[in-house]
Amino acid sequence: MMQRLLPFLSLMVLFVALAIASPHFLTETNLSSVVRQTAVINTMSLGMTLIIISGGIDLSVGAMLAMCGVLGTMAMESGMPVPVGILVGVLAGLFWGSVNGFLTTRLRIAPFIVTLGTLGIIRGLTLIITNGLPVHRVPPGFAFLGEGNLLGVPFVLWVVVLCALGTHFILENTRLGRHAFAIGSNPDAAIYAGVPVAFDITVIYALGGLLTGLAGMIEASRLMTGQPSAGNGYELQAIAAVVIGGGSLHGGEGSVIGTLIGALIMGLLSNGSDLLGISPYLQQAIIGAVIILAVTVDELRKRRGRAEG
Amino acid sequence: MLLDLTGIQKRFGGVTALRDGNLTVGPGEVHLLLGENGAGKSTMMKIVAGMERRDAGRMLWQGREVSFRAPAEAAAAGIAMVHQESLLAPHLTVAENILLGREERLPFGWVNRRRMVEQASRTIAEHHFPLQADWRVERLSPAGKQLVEICRAIQHGSSLLIFDEPTSSLSGAETEEVFRIVRTLRARGVGVIYITHRLEELRAIGDRVTILRDGATVHTSTLAEVSTDRIIQHMVGREMVSIYRRQPVEPGKELLRVEGLARRSVFRDVSFSLRAGEIVGLAGLIGAGRTETCLAIFGVDPIDAGRVFVDGRLARIGSPREAVAAGIALVTEDRQKTGLALRLPIAYNITMANLRQISHFGVLDGRAQGRVTAEYIARLRIRASSGRQAAGRLSGGNQQKVAIAKWLFRRARVFLFDEPTRGIDVGAKVEVFELMDELARSGAAVLMVSSEMQELLQVADRILVMRQGRITGELPGHTTQEEIMRFAALERECAP
Repeated sequence: MMQRLLPFLSLMVLFVALAIASPHFLTETNLSSVVRQTAVINTMSLGMTLIIISGGIDLSVGAMLAMCGVLGTMAMESGMPVPVGILVGVLAGLFWGSVNGFLTTRLRIAPFIVTLGTLGIIRGLTLIITNGLPVHRVPPGFAFLGEGNLLGVPFVLWVVVLCALGTHFILENTRLGRHAFAIGSNPDAAIYAGVPVAFDITVIYALGGLLTGLAGMIEASRLMTGQPSAGNGYELQAIAAVVIGGGSLHGGEGSVIGTLIGALIMGLLSNGSDLLGISPYLQQAIIGAVIILAVTVDELRKRRGRAEG
Repeated sequence: MLLDLTGIQKRFGGVTALRDGNLTVGPGEVHLLLGENGAGKSTMMKIVAGMERRDAGRMLWQGREVSFRAPAEAAAAGIAMVHQESLLAPHLTVAENILLGREERLPFGWVNRRRMVEQASRTIAEHHFPLQADWRVERLSPAGKQLVEICRAIQHGSSLLIFDEPTSSLSGAETEEVFRIVRTLRARGVGVIYITHRLEELRAIGDRVTILRDGATVHTSTLAEVSTDRIIQHMVGREMVSIYRRQPVEPGKELLRVEGLARRSVFRDVSFSLRAGEIVGLAGLIGAGRTETCLAIFGVDPIDAGRVFVDGRLARIGSPREAVAAGIALVTEDRQKTGLALRLPIAYNITMANLRQISHFGVLDGRAQGRVTAEYIARLRIRASSGRQAAGRLSGGNQQKVAIAKWLFRRARVFLFDEPTRGIDVGAKVEVFELMDELARSGAAVLMVSSEMQELLQVADRILVMRQGRITGELPGHTTQEEIMRFAALERECAP
């Protein structure tokens, strides 16, 4: 049981250590900036949690995030109201997620390959649509999504919490979530039990895309531009958050709470490094090492569990 | 004597695979090794070939006591094995496979491709095999792969060759080819151990015969001294300790009818029907097409011809999902691979095929799940700490009960049990039999595939026998193992 709590305890230790090491850490400004900074990866990694639990992976979410941000802001630029623009971005994510799901299940190609392909396609299309230039003319009201406050806390915190509750509910309390675990744990057993595997997988990728679309709009709102080059490498951060939180790339394991903790650990590491004046170059190396450490510890726990069983 | 085995013993965990294995083979002799599935033939041969180590007993090789720690040691001593399942690297060429692991050592790990092809071609030409050294193995037929295995084994001039059911996947002409090779080897003074299930092959190839039953050698003689009937008796044993026997019930209406089911080069002309309240056995040797028939009925494998009727209505089954919807359940042969999600809780596994029953508009009812799980754990006497325990932590018998519970909860009407007692202990076996009986009594139709003939005799009301992809006989439930064996192992013409 102690071992299961390990990610949470690490987060607590990290939090306390940073509070002691830097006087600027426990300030309202800094904490809300951590929340805002991690919101994008948090939202994306919720979708990634669903996908990884079902035994898949999505490498295209970074590129998808950029396209959604660009399409959403272009819609606003063309005069649509802010909520409609946001909806455009979210629906673009839903579309590309469905494409990923459709291709993996119908063509029966490994999701690693499919999403590697769509990564290129989406990124390329985004650059074509924008000519490689950012979308600037967005209505000022759009800033509220990424920078606004509601009831004294950042608005994005509400968005992330709502998405997390929704994803948690899907995973733990719906047929779809149960099927995701079953497919990820043993796809053959799921097929033999009559689970509609192709349909469920498509829906799961679509949900992942939807959350990525939302993340894309948050990112665009924070930058107040639609950046065609946004989200580069975010897919790896989202995967890392899931894995640090106890998700298994073999599928069948993972949780929303774990993923949130994973994303927060990474967010705090980068915030703390900033506060303590550690170079951003070294930050990357530290986060990389943490990923390996977290997975090693988790793997050792599982191996010991198996030996006892 | 080349090889002399005395009192060989081998245990795997709690299972005794071999308790008294005895065998002698001389040069220029073809020694047949016979026995039912699980009698210990393969285990004994793996010990000889250095793939397993014996727990006790004496193994003399050319007069000296030996114990091989790896196949390479046995190979160096002159013992080679031709495996039943192809152990070849499909993406490599014939030559690369023949010489795999025995490439000439050149500096920097370089490989002299030209010399490899030459060496392999020489072996192929010597035996007039229809192979080319530069063909890729994945393109070869099963027979072709078998020939590559044989080339591998004879490449280094072994003095003892072990053939583990070399003809099980071969046609008549290809089988003749293998016999020719075996005879050539014999003429050169090589010792051959030949495992087979095809009784009609015996006299065409063998000199002496050794029969194993339940891990012990029960008979050794020259082939001329023993009749085929005696061989069958030795293989199955005569004592029938009946610990369980089902009382059949009057069968009800027909629930499953299969007409002319065929799948190219796997099975054909498979027709039978199951009625409510019936348990029908499906006997046969490994590779007879029994599992494949179940997989086709259950929609896993496509069929080339034939129709399946469930409850009198034609069922179009293209996937397991459709089979499940039609009321068919398959308790698979390999529950770890296709039956259970081992890392998930028992509760998830039991409800997996029927989540609709415990959910409203896609939202699961946790309390209903708990109730259902507790009910089946109690009813099937599954020994678990709770429904939250991972299925993989259970013993084999309890895992099997969870796999069965999944279909009970799905309320299936036609149950296909594929080797339901594999890997579970005697107590659990009886519990599984009782469950099958209970199912039949409650109006389900049950098909039981088993390689354990004694179990079929205990449980089944009637027994279908398959051989080489066809149903060769239907026997009453009170038949004998000898009778089943006749239909399972002999050519059609020879059957009475």
